[in-house]
Parts: sequence; C-alpha cells; structure tokens
Amino acid sequence: MSAPAVSVRAPRAGLGLSAFEASVIGLVVLLLAVAVVGPLVAPESVYRSDIANALLPPGAGHWFGTDDQGRDVFWRLVVGARTTLLSAFLVVTLYSLIGVAVATIGAAGPRWLDETLMRITDIGLALPGMVVALGFAAAMGPSLRSAIIAMAITGWPITARLLRGIMRQTMEAPFVAGARALGVSRWRLMTCHVLPNSLDVLIVKWAGDVGTTVLVLASLSFIGVGAQPPSAEWGATIAGARGYVSTAWWTVVMPGAAVAITSIAFGLLGEIIQVRRDPSLRGN
Amino acid sequence: MPALKVYAWFLLKRLGLTVLTLWGLATLVFLMIKLMPGDEAQMAAGADASAAQVEAMRIRLGLDAPLVAQYLRFLLRVAQGDFGTSIVTLQPVMSDLGKVLPSTLELVVVAMLINLSVAIPAGIVAAYRQGGAFDSLCRAAAVTLGGMPAFWLALVLQFLLGRVWRVVPISGQVSFGMGSPVVTGAPSLDALLAFNGAGFLNALWHLALPAAVLAALFSTQVFRTLRASLLGVLRSDFVMAVRAKGASARRMLTDHALPNSLNPVLTLAGTQAGAMIGSAVLVETVFARKGIGAYMFNAVAQKDTFAVLGSVMFIGTVVCLVNLAVDVMQLVLDPRIRSAQFGSQH
Repeated sequence: MSAPAVSVRAPRAGLGLSAFEASVIGLVVLLLAVAVVGPLVAPESVYRSDIANALLPPGAGHWFGTDDQGRDVFWRLVVGARTTLLSAFLVVTLYSLIGVAVATIGAAGPRWLDETLMRITDIGLALPGMVVALGFAAAMGPSLRSAIIAMAITGWPITARLLRGIMRQTMEAPFVAGARALGVSRWRLMTCHVLPNSLDVLIVKWAGDVGTTVLVLASLSFIGVGAQPPSAEWGATIAGARGYVSTAWWTVVMPGAAVAITSIAFGLLGEIIQVRRDPSLRGN
Repeated sequence: MPALKVYAWFLLKRLGLTVLTLWGLATLVFLMIKLMPGDEAQMAAGADASAAQVEAMRIRLGLDAPLVAQYLRFLLRVAQGDFGTSIVTLQPVMSDLGKVLPSTLELVVVAMLINLSVAIPAGIVAAYRQGGAFDSLCRAAAVTLGGMPAFWLALVLQFLLGRVWRVVPISGQVSFGMGSPVVTGAPSLDALLAFNGAGFLNALWHLALPAAVLAALFSTQVFRTLRASLLGVLRSDFVMAVRAKGASARRMLTDHALPNSLNPVLTLAGTQAGAMIGSAVLVETVFARKGIGAYMFNAVAQKDTFAVLGSVMFIGTVVCLVNLAVDVMQLVLDPRIRSAQFGSQH
C-alpha cells in the first residue's frame, strides 16, 4: 500500500506552544511557585496585627495596602495562596479517588451493584452540590477541614458518571477482548486494563476542576462554613474585609482578584489540555 | 401507543426519580445531623437547658431509640414537611423559609430573564461571526466572568454602582415608604397586586443589580452552550441547502439554524433555574435582601445548625421540584424529547 498523498504540516518546534498557551502555563506555574515558596519568604509581620498602620492605601511600602489589622494585603495573599491551592488540589484528588472507586466497582461488580451505584450518582447529580456541601461543612463544625471533606463527598458524582461512560467505551477495544480470551478475571480486567486506559479523561479534567473548586471553596469560606479568620485563605479574607469595601476597597478587591485570576488560569489550562488532546475542538 | 399514555408513562418515571432523589436528600441530611459533634438533644434544647429538659428533648426527638428507628422516624417527619426547628426563631424551619421563598423566586426569575436575554443574542452573533472581534470579546468576557467569585462581584459592583456612581440602590428590596402590603412576600408582585406602579418599578430597580450578578454567574454557560450548538448546526448540510435555495442569512438563522440549536440551551436553563436558587445564598446577604439564601447565611452565622440543615433539605426539595417542572414543560414543548424518550413509537 502506498502512503496517502496528504501533506502533513511540520510540527512546530519544541512543544509548539502559542504565545497565549505559554502565558497561561506561565501563570499557573507562577501561582504554584507562590504557593510553594510564599509562606517561606513572607515577612513575620503578616501574622501580627499592627493597628497603627491599619487600612493604609496601596503604595510603595505596601503594594496592595494594609487590612483592618494593619497586615500587608499582598503578603497575606502570598501566604494564603498555599492554603487555597493546597485545599483545592486536595478536594479534587479526594473526589476523583471516590469517583474512580465508584466507577470501577460498578464496572467490575454485578449488574445490580452497577445499577445501584449509577442511581446514587444520578441522585448526587440532581442535588445542588454547593448547598449540600454547605450542610455537611456546617454539621461537622465550620472549618477549612470540614469544607474540604464536604466538597470531597459531594463532588464525586460527575467524575464517576464520566469515567463509567469512558470505561464502557474502553470495554469495546480489541485488547479487552484479548485479555478476556486469556482468562483474566473481571476484577483484574477492570483495574489493570480498562481503568488505566480510561484515566486519560481525568487528567484532562483536573485543571478545570481545580479552577471551579477554588471558587466554591472561597464561596464556602465567605458563607462562614470554610476557613475561619484569621486564616489567610482568600475566601475567608474577603469575608473578613467585607465591611471595609467602601472605606478601603483594596482589602476586598485584591483577594477577590486573586481568586478570579487563579480560577481563570486553571480553567484556561484545562481548555488548553483539552484542545491539545482533541484538536477538532479548536475554535469551539 | 396513544399520546396520553406516553405522557403518563413519562410523568410516572420522572416522578419516581424525583421521589428517589428526595429520599437521597433526606438520607444525606440525616447523615449530617448524625455528624454534628456534641449531644443532639442538648443542642436542640438550647445551651442553657436543664438536665431534665435535655432528657425530655431526647425522648421527644426519639433519640433513645435505635439508629434505624431514628432514621425511619426522620423520613416520616420530613415526608410530612417537618424540616426541623430553628433554635433562634423557635419556629419550624419550613414556615420560616416559606415566608421568604417568594422573595428568592422573584430574584431568580428576574436573573433568569437577564441571563437568557443577554447570553442568547450574544451566542447567536458570536457563532455567526465565529472568530470575529465580537466573538473574541464575548469569549474573553465569558472566561473572565466565569472565574469570578459571585459574592465578590456583588460586593465590588455594589460599591461601584451603588455607592460611587449611585445608579442603583445599595441594598434592600424596596425604598422606605414605597412598599406595598405584604401578600406574597415578593415586593414586586405585592406592588402589582396593590396596583402600585411606582412601587413595582422601585422593587425592580432594587432587583436589577442582585439579579444581574446572579445572571452573570450563569450566563457564561448559556453563551458557551448556545455558541457551540449553533456552530455545529451551521456546519451541517441542511443549512447549506437552505442557503443554496436562496434564503437570506437572517432567515436561515431565525427559521432554520436557531430552532435546531436551542435545545441544549433549554435543558441547561432548566438545571440552572434550580442551581440559581442555591446560589442565592451568595448574593442575597450582600444586598440585604430577604430570601432562603439570606436565611441560611444568617443561620450559619448564628450557629443555628438545625436551621442550616433544614434549609439544605428545603432548598434541595425546591430544586428537585423545579427540575421536575422544567422536564415536564420540555416534554410538552419539544416533540423531539418525546420521540427520544419513546423512540420506537413515532
């Protein structure tokens, strides 16, 4: 058979990142770097109140001004980046694990178990996730830990549903029939063959998930069931500064902008990964 | 199969799913109650109740019974509409929330109108001129708005539009002296019922910013969904055939492409209606509005956990019922859903 006469565009040099893609990835890397290094380099004064310097406007001494306790807003955000990002990663990891477990057990188990698990998933999808998470966090006693656990137990249904669907598709692949013909047990088939070949979808999904989780986490903290003051978590910081929006706008605007930038950066990263995996989505 | 029977079967199946979901919700709320640290009877009786009062409460709530019996008893109570009692207002959560629900619904209805009337035209123009300046602008706006925390957007816009530029009221539901006698609890509706035109406009004016913020949170999804759906339809063969027959671009869009691409948007708007009720908790308190979101927010602040969990049960129930209503409405409106549900019969 002769090679088809189709001209293939030469791949761009290196990773072939466009300027936009490079800047999004750069931003995400910067945020991660701040989260890792931030608390190590922040001045000791961010943890202490200094009422004499309260509510100073942004200037040379304090880039983003100071809050009602006289703490530097910029450095509080830098310190809070770790709490915020680490919590979001934890939430996404935890609910992904639950989702993987539910989908795999459903796929490997008997038919009735699969049906039951998918009905439970349906119920989870039909309920307002943030409100149920709020309930769990309030019941366990408002704290960042409660909010993380609450979001983990309410976040898994989408992952489970998605992964179960992909696993069903993977089941059609010839190699699965091959493994079956070799006498591989159903459980082993699912965990060692079908699952690893379906996990791709979660890798694509995680960045976008981190973006939305940052938002929901900040919302729960704002409502009062997440991180509690004096935590530097961004949502709690906005909640604490709420009363100063008209006298010292920077105390509210800056942490909110941090949440927005982080959420947007991870959301865009998710889209970039998605388009790279399936270029037919480009432009959509 | 006759159409009536088809409807009845769909309704029955859909109702079954709703009952199942409500049961799941009640089970989750029961779990939450059991997760509460400390003595449930002590919490229900209040911090300064005597030992005898706590014991009486324990027996009243049936906490001396085995867990399974407690669970069944809880389900029975919920089925009868007893969602617990607030330890602050000392009223059943159900009656507290019933009073403020119309105010939330008013907000959600206006937000939904803003949401659709902005996102749908934007989505049409963006898809028709894919890659153009307007398309790029809208997509950038959608990404930016989608990443903003709603409560923060509310705070910032309230400050800018309400305090600095003074184009909308800072907070509240109706100006002092402009209110109408409370009939429904939704100020705009009450004004209409009292034939109070000025009061109606005043209530809408107070609604504008909170509803716009709530709409912004959801309109990005509508925009993206419609744009993607319309792009798909515009690429299909029948659109080319329509153009080849000489239909104008406008006619092709309004009569052919659009009706075929609105379906995913309607489905999305249906789920959004429910989700908006939950998101009211982020907006209502910022603007000092009454509503189930504000009630829940205050319950959290006052550590009135029974009221919080009752609100979760209540909001979850309202969301389920709204979703049910939307699905039934879609069945009536869209023949394709009927045939998708009962493919072989058509």
